[in-house]
Amino acid sequence: MFQIIKNEWRFLLRSRIFLGISIGFIAILIVSVFLGNYQTQKQDQTQTNAKEHVRQQWVSIDEMNPHSAAHYGTYVFKPANLLSSLDEGVNSVTGNVLRVEGHVQNEIVHSEASQMQVVSRFGKLKSSLLLQYIVPLLLIFLAFNSVSSEKQSGRLKLLILQGAKPIQLILSKTFSVWLYGLLLLLFVIVVYGILNLQSLTSEILFRTGLFFLSYALYYFIISGLTVFFSARWQNATLALTSMLGIWILWTIFLPNVLMSSVEKWHQLPSRNEFQTAMDEDRSKGLDGHNPTDERTKALEEKVLKEYKVDSLSQLPINFDGLLMQADEDYGNKVWDKHFGNNRNVLQEQKQSFQLGGIVNPFISLQNTSMGFMASDNVHHQEFLLQVENYRRVFIKMLNDEHAFGGSKTGNWGKNADNAFFRSVPDFDYKPTQLSVVFSNYMLDLALLAFWSVLVFALILFGTKKIEIL
Amino acid sequence: MRSLQIFIYEWKHFTRSPFKIVALILFIVASMYGLHNGADLYEKQNNEFERLTQETETEIKTTLSYFENGKKGPDERPWVDNTQPFWAIYNAPTYAFKTPSPTIVYAIGQTEQYGFYKRINTWSNPYDADMTQEISNPERIQSGTLDFSFSILFLLPLLLLVLLYNIKGKEEEQGFLPLIFVQTGSKNWWIVSRTAFYTLLLLLVLVGVMVYGATLTNVFKANADSFWSILIYVTIYLLFWVIIYFLILKYSKSTVSNTLLMIGVWLLFAFIIPATIQQWIAIEKPTNLMVDLIDVKRDKTSEINEQSKALINRQMFELYPKLKETKTFKDTTIVRKRGGYSTNALVTIEMKNATKSIEEDNNAKNKLVETTYWINPITFFQNKLNKLTNTHYEDYESYRNAIQKSVDERTKIMVFDIWNDVTVDKEKYLEYNKTFSK
Repeated sequence: MFQIIKNEWRFLLRSRIFLGISIGFIAILIVSVFLGNYQTQKQDQTQTNAKEHVRQQWVSIDEMNPHSAAHYGTYVFKPANLLSSLDEGVNSVTGNVLRVEGHVQNEIVHSEASQMQVVSRFGKLKSSLLLQYIVPLLLIFLAFNSVSSEKQSGRLKLLILQGAKPIQLILSKTFSVWLYGLLLLLFVIVVYGILNLQSLTSEILFRTGLFFLSYALYYFIISGLTVFFSARWQNATLALTSMLGIWILWTIFLPNVLMSSVEKWHQLPSRNEFQTAMDEDRSKGLDGHNPTDERTKALEEKVLKEYKVDSLSQLPINFDGLLMQADEDYGNKVWDKHFGNNRNVLQEQKQSFQLGGIVNPFISLQNTSMGFMASDNVHHQEFLLQVENYRRVFIKMLNDEHAFGGSKTGNWGKNADNAFFRSVPDFDYKPTQLSVVFSNYMLDLALLAFWSVLVFALILFGTKKIEIL
Repeated sequence: MRSLQIFIYEWKHFTRSPFKIVALILFIVASMYGLHNGADLYEKQNNEFERLTQETETEIKTTLSYFENGKKGPDERPWVDNTQPFWAIYNAPTYAFKTPSPTIVYAIGQTEQYGFYKRINTWSNPYDADMTQEISNPERIQSGTLDFSFSILFLLPLLLLVLLYNIKGKEEEQGFLPLIFVQTGSKNWWIVSRTAFYTLLLLLVLVGVMVYGATLTNVFKANADSFWSILIYVTIYLLFWVIIYFLILKYSKSTVSNTLLMIGVWLLFAFIIPATIQQWIAIEKPTNLMVDLIDVKRDKTSEINEQSKALINRQMFELYPKLKETKTFKDTTIVRKRGGYSTNALVTIEMKNATKSIEEDNNAKNKLVETTYWINPITFFQNKLNKLTNTHYEDYESYRNAIQKSVDERTKIMVFDIWNDVTVDKEKYLEYNKTFSK
C-alpha cells in the first residue's frame, strides 16, 4: 500500500497543473495566516490602548463618592484572541465593549459587523475559511477521477493482475489525497506556530492539536467519499457532480437551514420581554411575594439588631451602602435566573445544531474549529460571565466603601480618596481553559470519528464488487 | 435547427435529468424557506411594536391618573414631580421604531445586527447599549440567516452551474459534437440557445418565487416599485452569471473542465474576493471601541456639570439664543434651580460630536468597500438588495439620525419649558405625548 501511495504522489508531483495550483494555494494560505495574525495583533493593540485609557481615568479619580463611582463605572473591552487569527468564529458579530456599573448588567455592544455595510457573508480571509471551504474542494478535484481514470485507461486491471487488491488500491488513493489535505493543514499550523513562537503555550498547542485532528478527520471523510464515488460510479463526471452536490449541501445549504431552524425550535425571549421580566423580578421579588420594600425593611431590622441600636442614625456605618449591596445581591440572583435561562436556551440550540452533525459532518467541523480556537459562543459566554463576576466584585468594593468608609446613613457627600480607587482591581481576563469547556465538543469529535469510520466501512464493504473495467 | 427546437430538446433533456430537477427543487425550497424567514422577521418586529405601543399606552394612563387624582407621582417615589417639565417629559414614553419594509422578505440584510426600537430620553444616544441587536445566538448571526437574498446570491449561481455544466462537454466526450454543429449551423448559437433556455426557466422560477414572497407581506400594496427594482437587479445578477458561464462553456473543452472553472469562478466571487476585502478593511480600520463616546459619557459630562453657572448659561444661550426671551431669563434663582436639568442639552451636543466622528469612521469603511465593487460583484448586489429592502447600513444610519433628531427636539422642549417655568397639567402632558410621538 505504501508503494501505491508513493506512486500516486510521484504522479501528482509530475503534474505541472497540480504543482501550480498547490504553490498558488499555499501562497494564499500563507497570506491568510499572516493577515489573520496581523489583524489580531492590530486589534489587540487597539484593545490594549482603550483598556489602558479607561483604567487611567479610573485610577486618576482624586476623590468621588463611592456610589457616584459605581455610576461612573468602567468599561471592559473584549480582548483579541491570538487563536482567533485562525478561526474568527463569532467575534465579528458579538460586541466588543461592555459597560460595568452599579444596579444594572449591560449588554456587550459595538460589534464589528455593525460598523459598516455587508462585505463577506462567510467572514474574513482567515485560514479557517480556506481550510473549511476551499481545501475540501481541492481534495474533491484531486480524487474524483482517481479510480475512474484508472478504470478507463485499463491500468486498474493491470495493477490487479500484478497482485494489488482493489481495496488496497482504493484505500491508498484515499490516503494519498488525504495526505495532501494534511500537508496543507500542517503548513498552516506550522506557519502560525512560527509567527507566534513566543506566545505558544501548552494550552495553545493542545487546542491547535485538536484543531488539526478535527480537520484531519473531515478531510478523510471528504477524500474517502470522493474516492468511493470514483470507484463506484461509471464515470468521473458523475463522481465529481455527486461530490459537488454533497459539498454544496453540507457547506452552503444545511448549516444555514439548520442554524435558522434551531433558533426557532428553542426560542430566546425578545430583549424587551427579557428586560420586563428582570425588572419585575427585581421589584416584586423572585417568587413574586418578596417586594423591594419588604426586603428593605427586613434588612433594616437585621442590621439594627446586629449593631444593637434602635434607629439607622445611631448606626456607626452607612446603611445606604448595605442596602445598595443587598439590592445588588438580589439583582445578581435575578440576573443568574434570567441569564441562566438564556444560557440554557443557547445550550439547547447548540446541542440541536451539533446533532446536525449526524447528517452533515461539516457542522461538527465548524463547531470544533471555532471551539478549539476559542472563538465560539461557548467561549463568548464564558467571557461575559467573567465580566459579570468582575462587576460583582467591583460594585461590592464600592458599596462596602460607602457602608464602612466612615460615613453615616444618609450621608452622600463622603468621598473615597484616590488610594481607594487605585486599590480597585482592573478586569483581568483569564482565557477559558479547554479542559473547562471540552465536554461541549465531545459530540462533534465523536460524530467526525463516526463519519470517518462510516466512510472507511463504505470503502471496505462498498467497493468489494466494483467493476474492474 | 431553430431555437424553438433546441428549447424543446433542452426541455426533454432537463426532464430526464433527475440531478438537475432535484437541484431546481432544492433551490425553490431554499428560496421559499428564505422568504418565510424574512416574513417571520417582519411579523416578529411588528408584533414587538404593537406590544411596545400597548405598554406605552398603559404608562401614559398611569401618569394621567396621577394628574386626575391630584398626585405628583407614585407614592413610593416621592421625588418624582410630574408637574415639572423634566419629570413629565421623562414620563412621556416615546419609542423610535425602525419600521420594517414589507420587502424585507427578500433580504433581511443587516437587520439582525441592530436594535429596531429605542426608548427616547433626553440623554439618549443612537449608540446606547439598547441599540444593540436583539438577544440571539451569535453563531446563528455569524452563519447568517438563510434569506431569499442568500438563495439568489449564493445558491442561484450554483443552480445555474448544475444546469449548464455539461453543455457541449458531454457531446464532445461522446463524440457527436461535430454532428450538432452541422445540424445547428452555428456553435455559438447552439450554446446560446441552450443557455437561454435555462436562463428563461430560472427567470420564470424567480418571478414565481418572488410573487409568492410578495403575498407574504403584501409587498404589492406598499412597495410595488421596490418589487420591480428587486426583480431587475435579480435578473441582472442572473445574466451576470449566465455570461460568465457561457464564456466558460464556449472556450472550455470538457464537462470536467467546465465544472472546475465554473466552481472556481464562483469560489472567487463568493468567498475569496469578499473575504480578502473584509480582511483588508479590518486591518486598515480596526473595530472602533468607541472610546471617544465613553469619554463624553463620563468625563465630559462631569466637566459640563462642574462648570460655573455663568459658563453653563453662556453655552446654553449660544445653543438656544431664544432662551434670553424666556420669562425666567432674569430670574437667576429659577435659572440656578433648574439649570441642572438643562445641562443635558450641552451633553447632547458633545455626544453628537462624538457620534459624528464614529459615523464618519464607519462611512470611510463603507467608501472603501464601495471602491472594490468593480471586482466584488456579490457584495455590490448584496448591498443593492439591502438598500431596496431598507435593511442596509445606511437605513440604520438614517434611523440613528431620526433618534438623534427626536432627542434634540425633546431636549429643546424640556429646556424651554423649564426656563419658562411651565407647570405641567394633564393637557400639557398629553400635548407632550402627542408632540413626541410624531
